[in-house]
Amino acid sequence: MSQTDLARVGRALRRAGLGGVAVGELNGSLLLEGTLPAWADVVRAGSVAAAHRGRYPHVVNHLDLPGLPPVEPQSPRLRDSALEGARPDVAVIGGGVIGCAIARELCRYDLDVLLLEKESDIAMGASSRNDGMIHPGIDLRAGTLKHRYGIAGNAMFDQLAAELEIPFVRNGSYIIFSAAWERLLVPAFYLRARRGPIPGVRYVSRRELLRLQPEVAPWAKGAVYTASSGILCPYGLTVALAENAVQNGARVSLLTAVTGIERQGDRVTALHTNRGTVRPRLVVDAAGVWADRIAALAGDEFFTIHPRKGTSSILDKKAGYLTASVLAKAPFADVRQHTKGGGIVRTIDGNILVGPTAVEVRQREDNSTHQPQIDASFEKHSKVAPHLSERDVITYFSGIRAATYEEDFIVGPSPRVRNLLYAAGIQSPGLTAAPAIAKDIAAFAVKALSDRGPVGLNPHFDPHRTAIPRPSEMTAEAREALIESDPDFGEVVCRCEGITRGEILAALRRPVPANSIDGVKRRVRAGMGRCQGGFCSPAVAQLIAQEQGIPLWQVRRSGEGSEIGFGPTKGGERDGTV
Amino acid sequence: MERFDVLVLGGGPAGLAAALAAEEQGACVCLLEREARLGGILKQCIHDGFGLLRFGERLTGPEYADNYIRLLGGRNIAVRLRSFVTSLEKSGGGFAVTYTSRGGLHRLEAGALVLATGCRERTARQIFVHGDKPAGVYTAGTAQHLVNLQGVLPTRRCVILGSGDIGLIMARRLTLEGAEVEGVYEAKPEPSGLSRNIRQCLTDFGIPLHLSHTVTRVLGEGRVEAVETARVDERMKPVPGSERLVPCDALILSVGLIPENELAESLGIPLDPHTKGPAVDARFETDCPGVFCCGNAVQVHDLVDYVSEGAATAGRCAALRALGKEAAPAPALPVEYGREFVSVLPQRLRPGNEPAACYFRVAETRGPTRLVVSQGGAVLLQKSYRRLRPPEMERVSLRPGGSGPVVFRLEDAAEKAQNGPAAAPL
Repeated sequence: MSQTDLARVGRALRRAGLGGVAVGELNGSLLLEGTLPAWADVVRAGSVAAAHRGRYPHVVNHLDLPGLPPVEPQSPRLRDSALEGARPDVAVIGGGVIGCAIARELCRYDLDVLLLEKESDIAMGASSRNDGMIHPGIDLRAGTLKHRYGIAGNAMFDQLAAELEIPFVRNGSYIIFSAAWERLLVPAFYLRARRGPIPGVRYVSRRELLRLQPEVAPWAKGAVYTASSGILCPYGLTVALAENAVQNGARVSLLTAVTGIERQGDRVTALHTNRGTVRPRLVVDAAGVWADRIAALAGDEFFTIHPRKGTSSILDKKAGYLTASVLAKAPFADVRQHTKGGGIVRTIDGNILVGPTAVEVRQREDNSTHQPQIDASFEKHSKVAPHLSERDVITYFSGIRAATYEEDFIVGPSPRVRNLLYAAGIQSPGLTAAPAIAKDIAAFAVKALSDRGPVGLNPHFDPHRTAIPRPSEMTAEAREALIESDPDFGEVVCRCEGITRGEILAALRRPVPANSIDGVKRRVRAGMGRCQGGFCSPAVAQLIAQEQGIPLWQVRRSGEGSEIGFGPTKGGERDGTV
Repeated sequence: MERFDVLVLGGGPAGLAAALAAEEQGACVCLLEREARLGGILKQCIHDGFGLLRFGERLTGPEYADNYIRLLGGRNIAVRLRSFVTSLEKSGGGFAVTYTSRGGLHRLEAGALVLATGCRERTARQIFVHGDKPAGVYTAGTAQHLVNLQGVLPTRRCVILGSGDIGLIMARRLTLEGAEVEGVYEAKPEPSGLSRNIRQCLTDFGIPLHLSHTVTRVLGEGRVEAVETARVDERMKPVPGSERLVPCDALILSVGLIPENELAESLGIPLDPHTKGPAVDARFETDCPGVFCCGNAVQVHDLVDYVSEGAATAGRCAALRALGKEAAPAPALPVEYGREFVSVLPQRLRPGNEPAACYFRVAETRGPTRLVVSQGGAVLLQKSYRRLRPPEMERVSLRPGGSGPVVFRLEDAAEKAQNGPAAAPL
């Protein structure tokens, strides 16, 4: 490309007070190198470069703070050769909602699919750490991949949720105006809705808003309501996608990190992992916050992920009266927003979620929480619903969004490596977009794999996945019949959420089985309630120990090294009813 | 459909005492318990000191519970274990209850209800402990369950946050199991647990108690690797610069108990913000006629002996009500008290000949103090105390007159005082 482009970016950086940044080119992308004193400057430099990148499609930002070791992925300690010699048609790297949706989509074809996930379970990153909203796309800019896949994905959820038997409702969302002038923007919303197309968008007057959502503060000047906005359990979706993929022949290999990639010419020939070398015909990079690292390992680095942390709080179901929908203040007063700015979200399970916030961070897997983030989100959102209170908080969590500096998704084939596809830079509304992205990636995969003759359909593909029964949601008759067929479904173990022994055992025996206390919690909600597992976690641990045939103290809370105990007490471990 | 006079929900010390007392009045009683065994939290309280008031001897928790469980035999009490209530509603003059068990979904009707659902522990999230989320953060009760019921050693070196009684008991228990308790950190300037527990569980074992200190952060990937502690100021805010990193493999929390009243709330029974349980009269009847509440569900107790006493009253009165043996209760007299109290139970009294047991907790540690309970101009009771501490629930007995609120008041007193009874904590 041209020197004038590079010079222009250099000038823009200097104008922004970011001198000393070397501007160059890497794999057809703009490259920033050097050190800056603060992480905020590193991110700002990337954003300034993206804004002035001209014909360069992407920005690679190698800037870092001086004197610090580079941020490295946390890797599993496990070493074995379980995958040695595996030659799948497709290796999907990353077991988040994107990777799992892609694996399932690929199973529609006659393909051998292997999904690699470095954590001890699927959905361990952003996929289990978001608000679960299926966004309508009303706030997305036309022409972006976020807009395209967000709107297409939203429309796919009725069918998908039915096929996977996951609870999903379109509970609508309100963008609430705080200033009268904001109502002038209503025609722009209607225009966006028509162009989207986004169904069910309408203006709601102040009076109607306060009638429909009586907890909204009286200052509200009206709202734009979008009926197609929905809600689901994001890890529930991810687990269901993975289970359905496995049911249809895909393999999921957990605790599997890609440590090196071999390339010959314009093809990837091998993935080195801690569990052996895999030689796939095609690779899909759905590695979330590490997608750029995978690209670099393949000698194809052309974008950079900058981690953006979001913290959300979960309120007791008692606070569910606040709204059955999603409430958010219109963001027009805020200068620059890379996320929807959070809101008050009624989750699919009846809790209220407050958040998420958005903070640029250097570490990519540091999901630690900090009180100022929680205070900030309550301060912000209690303006919308004055009764919102930190006293109702039962838990909180952080997640890391995998943003690129172009703030858009990257979906499709690598420009340089013929058998490498990317589903990268997936941030909000990634959950919404997942099924649409997966569909396109599968199409790209089939095209890329057709070099050795056409790829046929999988005649046995069954899109239907049967969910674990939820007795607490059943009619009395159905519940009785279930208990009669399996008494374990009559015995409640988790008192707060009313989860039975049968559900917990089922979670431990699924196609992608839970292997930890948290894994059970994500699949069936045992421990998700107000006591946060204080009562049921020993009982859940006991069931895990039984199923895995291990001593109780070796049961893991989550991943490697998270065993609940250090051995038996002096009297020895008990075995029996407690 | 099965019909009982009295349905008791919960098979811990409160539920056991209530069921037995109800049956003694001739009621046909059903007791539902969620777990596979009766005894509630006492099952895991293997330390001694229970029952000094009730049985005149120091018993372990399981022994105390067994004294009640043994009495169940031969009584007209249907005990249903592994039984969990899924819905509760008013029906006719009584209540319709649905519960689930391994045998199916069952419905029954009862003339009166006794809620003896106990309490739960406040969690790390509820006190906003931040940082990573590794394994090794346990509430004291969960740690106690793992050690005493499951035989699992959950830590080799831990920090305990909060000086509530279970935390103190666990400091000693873990030390006996060979674990090192680095220290107990308490954000308040004085301990939350009973004085005897400070002495017997910390001092005797050389475990340091850090008052006005808290845990600000948890660090660790798989397992807890360290916690950050800090001194707190008068407003309980961490003092910058006082942070200290303490290497450990577990953080054990003893930061408060919350009465479990989701069933009461499902009946629309309002909760008292001071006790966090339903408001009751001296018979332990809630604002919903026919619904009684006792034990840690009505207010967190420190002595199981008082739990049993109150629960027996609740059970007896529930039976009398269900059997129609009870004259219409006299109009309630409100109990009033100032900010020097955390709470006074019951929230209402009724005039009558029988003395009513009242329990109170002070808001702050006090030296010589006189409790004065009056109604109208008349003093109903005066009692002097050498020392009063918030963790210790005090009991008095009253016989209020016909009308007007009953007012509890504390006065500073210099004279020599008698002290409340000494007995073991839960």
